[in-house]
Amino acid sequence: MGNRSSVRRRWAAGGIGAALVATVGIGLVVAPAGASAAPELPPVSPEDLVSSVLTAEPGPFNGTVSLDNQLGLPALPGAPQAANGTSTARIWSGDDGKGRVSLPTDQGEKTFVSDGATRWSYDSETRTVTKVPAKQGGGPGEKQGGRPDRAPEAGTTGPPEVAAPDPAAAAATAIGELRNTSTVSVDGTAEVAGRPAYQLVLDPKPTERTLLREVRIAVDAEKRIPLQLSVLANGSPEPALQVGFTDVTFGPQDASLFAFTPPPGSTVRDEPATTDRAKPGPAGPKPGQDAGRDAARPTIVGDGWDTVVVARTPAQAKPGEPKPDSAEQGDQGAPEGAGAPDLSALGTPVSGPWGAGRQISTAVGTAIIADDGRIAAGAVPAQVLTEALAR
Amino acid sequence: MTAATIDTTAGDPRPVPTLRLFAAELRWVLRRPRTLIMFGLFALVPILIAIGVVVADGDGDGNGGRGLIGSIGGNGLVLPIAAMTISLTLLLPLAVAVASADAIAGEASHGTLRGLLLSPVGRLRLVGMKAFGVLVVAVVATLVIAVVGVLAGLVVVGGADGQLITLSGTTVGLGEAVGRVGLVALWTVGQLAAVGAVALAVSSFTEHPLVVLASVLGGLITFGVLSTIPALDWLAPYLLTTGWSAGADALRDPLPLDGLGSSSLVALVYLVVGAAVLITRMSRRDA
Repeated sequence: MGNRSSVRRRWAAGGIGAALVATVGIGLVVAPAGASAAPELPPVSPEDLVSSVLTAEPGPFNGTVSLDNQLGLPALPGAPQAANGTSTARIWSGDDGKGRVSLPTDQGEKTFVSDGATRWSYDSETRTVTKVPAKQGGGPGEKQGGRPDRAPEAGTTGPPEVAAPDPAAAAATAIGELRNTSTVSVDGTAEVAGRPAYQLVLDPKPTERTLLREVRIAVDAEKRIPLQLSVLANGSPEPALQVGFTDVTFGPQDASLFAFTPPPGSTVRDEPATTDRAKPGPAGPKPGQDAGRDAARPTIVGDGWDTVVVARTPAQAKPGEPKPDSAEQGDQGAPEGAGAPDLSALGTPVSGPWGAGRQISTAVGTAIIADDGRIAAGAVPAQVLTEALAR
Repeated sequence: MTAATIDTTAGDPRPVPTLRLFAAELRWVLRRPRTLIMFGLFALVPILIAIGVVVADGDGDGNGGRGLIGSIGGNGLVLPIAAMTISLTLLLPLAVAVASADAIAGEASHGTLRGLLLSPVGRLRLVGMKAFGVLVVAVVATLVIAVVGVLAGLVVVGGADGQLITLSGTTVGLGEAVGRVGLVALWTVGQLAAVGAVALAVSSFTEHPLVVLASVLGGLITFGVLSTIPALDWLAPYLLTTGWSAGADALRDPLPLDGLGSSSLVALVYLVVGAAVLITRMSRRDA
């Protein structure tokens, strides 16, 4: 067969062609629907945008929230979301503080249901139900102490908390505060989860000594709820942390979603309402709200983007993790670990005039755990931390 | 195809009815002892898991450990879905690869393919007949696991009053649970069809059945290795195996269909490309 090599060549070409077809085909199948051109929206000032977010009442909705974490945190037991990678949550939000959040893993799921009167959580791995009487006006995300559903949390719990003052004035005040340390702007539009959105951008002023480059919040143009939060650090074009809806649907939700009956064979644990918030023990909970709650009251050094939180390790339980916690910028980074992992194995040893300890560096923040029990953390370079510790 | 069928077609100038063609292939596939033994082994998969779960769960706390297997304890209707998901990683593709290897490469190595290629049957129908045989193996193997899984789950594991406790902590009735098992079975067959199409395409290029087995299993293992390399995570959406954990989605409530849907679409692309290569090769093949 003299033409065997040509036949073979033809088949090789055919094989490459088939591989190309497969690549393009799968590319079309898996390509995200978004990534289209920026939608045309009427211009809006940052004050108006924030004010409309504070007054927004999105009503019931459901959606999928995706967390893309490139923070470079060490992997913590019990908190797979803290390590680099993506995780998703499915969220249903109803009226009157009713909500449901599912955190699926490959082989299990954690479910949180708030039926208005009781908050249930269910862990399919251990088959335990935890039952906590709800406090007033709790959204579905709130009880989790900072899970990947932070975006809807802001949407659902925002209105009741800020309802008292005039929203426009509150927005003006908040932005005025921010403008001391940041440049606040509405930087164009984007399409997030298939919906047109404004991009609210916070840039640190050049005088701020921070690792962060900017914080972007995509706000739904129609419903005015935050759809996506991106935290960008110096030295990387990709967000260090991105939390946002990959799809969202507004409309009435099935009421049965917000009811929970412990399944047969499960262990039900009753917990009093007061321990609910203390138990997860995150060191970086909601900004400015829970920061001073711990017995070891943390000291705040500096303000704005280079805020450093200096805390003392509680004797009974260490905080979940030393979070880069730059108070009001809302970059309360990765999901918090449950329980108290042993921090002594993490980080690299450092020492200075302030003492000695271990330094944990991530893309967006640094933490130093001093051997004398002090913990300093912030979205700042290590030098700022050591200055704070030396004070 | 059996020698008898070839004889009758050879003496008959009229085209062979498609139905008879498919029936002949079906007999040919299902009469092989290895196919039947394979089906029997697949029936053992859920039974073994059930026994393992019951033994491990001897203290009766309804928690047989972590993972999907762990959620079977006291919740028998998880068993068929877990068994299908676990078998999909290697066992079911192996069965499909064996069937695909026999279908074309095996016949070529025995010299029986020549008779088929010479017979008055269009090449397209010939490919359809072979694909049908492989698909039947995939369907029967999956159904064996699903049916034995439901039965073993209800009888051996039991619990939950004939209901299915989803991973989300809700309970669904027997009817809906069986419906979900059926959905996973359908999805599994879809994934296996993709494996089968690629395996048949490989099969059409060789006359050594072992090459088909080696390429399918080697391919699956390679996919598994590739998906564990963090630097190659951009590759993950293109790998057929990436979506194979979506079977567990049927245990969530409300049922999320995006994982099952997207993995089915990826499987469809593999199926179309595999089928195109297979048909091209077979229609040009010399007798």
